[in-house]
Amino acid sequence: MSDFDSAESTPVPERPRKRQRIYDDSEASTPRYSSPDEVEGDHKPARSSNLRRTPRSRSASSEERSPRPKYRSRSASSSGSAGASPSQTPDAGPSPPAYKPPQLNYKQKFILRGHQKAVSQVRISPDGCWIASASADATIKIWNATTGKHMRTLEGHLAGISAIAWSPDSNTLASGSDDKIIRLWDRASGIPYPVPLIGHHNYVFSLAFSPKGNMLASGSFDEALFLWDLRARKLMRSLPAHSDPIGGVEFVRDGTLIGSCSTDGLIRVWDTATGQCLKTIVHEDNPSVTTIRFSPNGRFILAFTLDSSIRLWDYVSGTCKKTYQGHTNLKYSLGGTFVTGATSAYIASGSEDGDIFFWDAKTKEVVQRVSGHDGVVFWVDSCPMTGLVVSGGMDGTVRIWVDTYEDDTMAREEAAPLEDDYKPKEDPEDDNMAVKQEDIEDSEEKYHNDTPMGRSPSRERSPARSQEQVTSPERMEH
Amino acid sequence: MNLALSDPFVLAQDYPEQTTGSLRSGHATSVRFNRKGDCLAVGRVDGTVVIFDVETQGIARKLKGHTRQVQSLCWSRCGRYLLTSSQDWRCNLWDLQTGTILRSVRFHAPVYIAELHPWDHFKFVLSLFEDQPLLVDCTNPEPIKMKLPTIPKRTQIDDEQVDKKQAAQDAKQSTTVSIFTASGDHILAGTSKGWLNIIEVATRKTIYSTKICTGVVIYLRLTNSGRDLVVNAQDRIIRTIQLPNLSAKDLDPDTIDIEVEHRFQDVVNRLSWNHVAFSSTGEYVTASTYNNHDIYIWERNHGSLVKILEGPKEEHGIVEWHPHRPMIAACGLESGRIHIWSITSPQRWSALAPDFAEVEENVEFLEHEDEYDNHPEEELLKQRLDLEDEDVDVLTIEPVKGEILDSENTFKMPFQLDLDDSDSEEEFISIRRGEMRRKSFTGTDHLLDGDTGTSGDDRTLKKMKGRSKKR
Repeated sequence: MSDFDSAESTPVPERPRKRQRIYDDSEASTPRYSSPDEVEGDHKPARSSNLRRTPRSRSASSEERSPRPKYRSRSASSSGSAGASPSQTPDAGPSPPAYKPPQLNYKQKFILRGHQKAVSQVRISPDGCWIASASADATIKIWNATTGKHMRTLEGHLAGISAIAWSPDSNTLASGSDDKIIRLWDRASGIPYPVPLIGHHNYVFSLAFSPKGNMLASGSFDEALFLWDLRARKLMRSLPAHSDPIGGVEFVRDGTLIGSCSTDGLIRVWDTATGQCLKTIVHEDNPSVTTIRFSPNGRFILAFTLDSSIRLWDYVSGTCKKTYQGHTNLKYSLGGTFVTGATSAYIASGSEDGDIFFWDAKTKEVVQRVSGHDGVVFWVDSCPMTGLVVSGGMDGTVRIWVDTYEDDTMAREEAAPLEDDYKPKEDPEDDNMAVKQEDIEDSEEKYHNDTPMGRSPSRERSPARSQEQVTSPERMEH
Repeated sequence: MNLALSDPFVLAQDYPEQTTGSLRSGHATSVRFNRKGDCLAVGRVDGTVVIFDVETQGIARKLKGHTRQVQSLCWSRCGRYLLTSSQDWRCNLWDLQTGTILRSVRFHAPVYIAELHPWDHFKFVLSLFEDQPLLVDCTNPEPIKMKLPTIPKRTQIDDEQVDKKQAAQDAKQSTTVSIFTASGDHILAGTSKGWLNIIEVATRKTIYSTKICTGVVIYLRLTNSGRDLVVNAQDRIIRTIQLPNLSAKDLDPDTIDIEVEHRFQDVVNRLSWNHVAFSSTGEYVTASTYNNHDIYIWERNHGSLVKILEGPKEEHGIVEWHPHRPMIAACGLESGRIHIWSITSPQRWSALAPDFAEVEENVEFLEHEDEYDNHPEEELLKQRLDLEDEDVDVLTIEPVKGEILDSENTFKMPFQLDLDDSDSEEEFISIRRGEMRRKSFTGTDHLLDGDTGTSGDDRTLKKMKGRSKKR
């Protein structure tokens, strides 16, 4: 935020740097929109949230580290800093900080409806073109990632689906279901390959393709980690991995390691070639680990645990490097992802209160919090190429989010002076409007703010809603 | 990325210790790893070329085109193209992106060995049975075949009498093996009279010749770096040679000095060697033995024998070393199986329980200053979170030692899910039925090699299977 203001008030030293950055990213970000008007029309509220959010990354950092960060503290600090920001300008202007505060402004682009029950996983294909969503209604739906169009519904499983995975070439989709079967689907035709992978004794809960696409790792409630040879469709290796249901499995970037985690609180790292356990990571408090993700460079493991925390582990040394907190995750198996920004990395995860959180990977600050889902957000995935974020939740919807931050800044520099559109964002009406818009049909742009006022009480998870069942993710409750 | 977690003692092991498995698809006669080491090309007696996935040990691709036994295999640097030569007098260049033949070149004699140019996958050099070696450029669909000289280059000093005699002798010899140097500017050729010729590619003239052994030069192979050469010869001695820099600008062919670095031989049993290969780094040399079951490994520092690998009781033909792992693959001559030797590391039990550590001997317990102090939980938590101030970089990809950079090698073989799995059935039966059944299959392969085409293959197999079930 200080960056912003300084850019406007002391243009000489700051401008070139800012410009530079905008042009760098505009290329990558423009194709995300079907028309430039979408961005144009909404840029005011968008930036307002930025402005309010950014200063927090500094000023509120101490509060953030308190053992149980509450949402209240966040909202309080944001309003305070928004007022204070103009006064900071002179300090920040002459000496630009070495570390640029992270800026994100994810906004909802599409709501994809169609699933009858909760969506347990959403995955963007490696080529960034498709979104697959798995649901408790035993179907998988494939959507076009850019237009949000529903492409295909894959039917064949006899029970809710908890896991899907894209092959590296984006042509094959694997799905794991509560009927204990793993099926492979041809993306283009929507037809399953004739021989399913049968072997698990209990619900299949997570799947991962090897980077070459020749192997599939599957984690199941039968506590075993299976490694399948996909060409022969044979079980290659069965690893007695854990003593509790396996929450997540994933391959590292080069495919030499497989990570697995379980509700027994352990994260294990396996050697793909030998099937041996190379490392076990456990946190002192032993919270159930529901999902793991390897970092984009493969050096770290991100672990989602049922103590409302996400931890970044250096798996070589076995030390916890970062703890991301602020969201609620006590009951369900939530999944998130790394979001690759232009310069820095973020971590995105759903929350049981229906919001999606974005943390700065380095500072552990919540950079953005967006709401939209009605009920638990089970899974958040992102596309490293376009920065697109997709989420799926208890309400059976899949939502596509796009980062409009760079577009906002560009729009601002070209058009309006900062002070003018600085005000309307404080207007609560803005948020109310967004909430109402929510009910409008699909595929219309529904950008709405992530301000605390924007979250109407009706959207908070009521006990009744949590009863309405999501077969698979619910099971992680222990 | 598993190196950081692997047992350092296992990583320090450079050469394989024991058999770890075997691959089978028909009767294999030749094997070759690609540069990345994730694929193993296998040539069969019936002319089929099979690409095995080293990770899954399953078949990744089947290439059908040759009608006779595959003689040699050679991968292009990028791993996308594969050159195969066969006894059907043809060389095929396969594009693995599509699995089709990109170029098929027919010669007027059976091909011994064909080797691709290290940088240009449309050029290759091959040695023919009792004929002059050829340099082939098949950039255009119509291949250009260029003859290469076989006659060694003699120094001018020899008098005429000797010269005549020599010329008569020279005319009789033929080139048995020819390979490119690492730069691709020169060709190394071995002849049936034990000469090693260095041929310049640009002029196709022999620039240097030396007699390195008395018998036939059976095989030549360079290390991955291209600096060292191993020569297998009929005189039962394996020689390693450090090559001079042939691409130096001021290279004077007359000053080239080729000196044999090591001579590996079995003085006691006088074994002769079927095939030789360098290890990934070139530190070791391995050889399969004639009329013997063992695989020998020598190291090149002192020139000593370090290991005799015992394995299946069968003689091995072509032996290959994995490009960056201590892993050896060799073709069993009798069964046609590919046997694999590698390292098996024991499971470290401390890896399973993070709060346990393996210690060599007893360690006396010393209590830390604050080990049993009581702290309020809140405070601990806060402390712990405050400690997390280290900068983490989750994006930058650090290069891994031994890994081929993605920028250099971007080809990924398209993944096929719908392979016909007749071969896996074949394998299945051979395991269940044991030695007898398997032998009968290899017999079938031999028969098929003689008369029927590849299409009849599967049908015959199915018939055989039906019969075996009845019994």
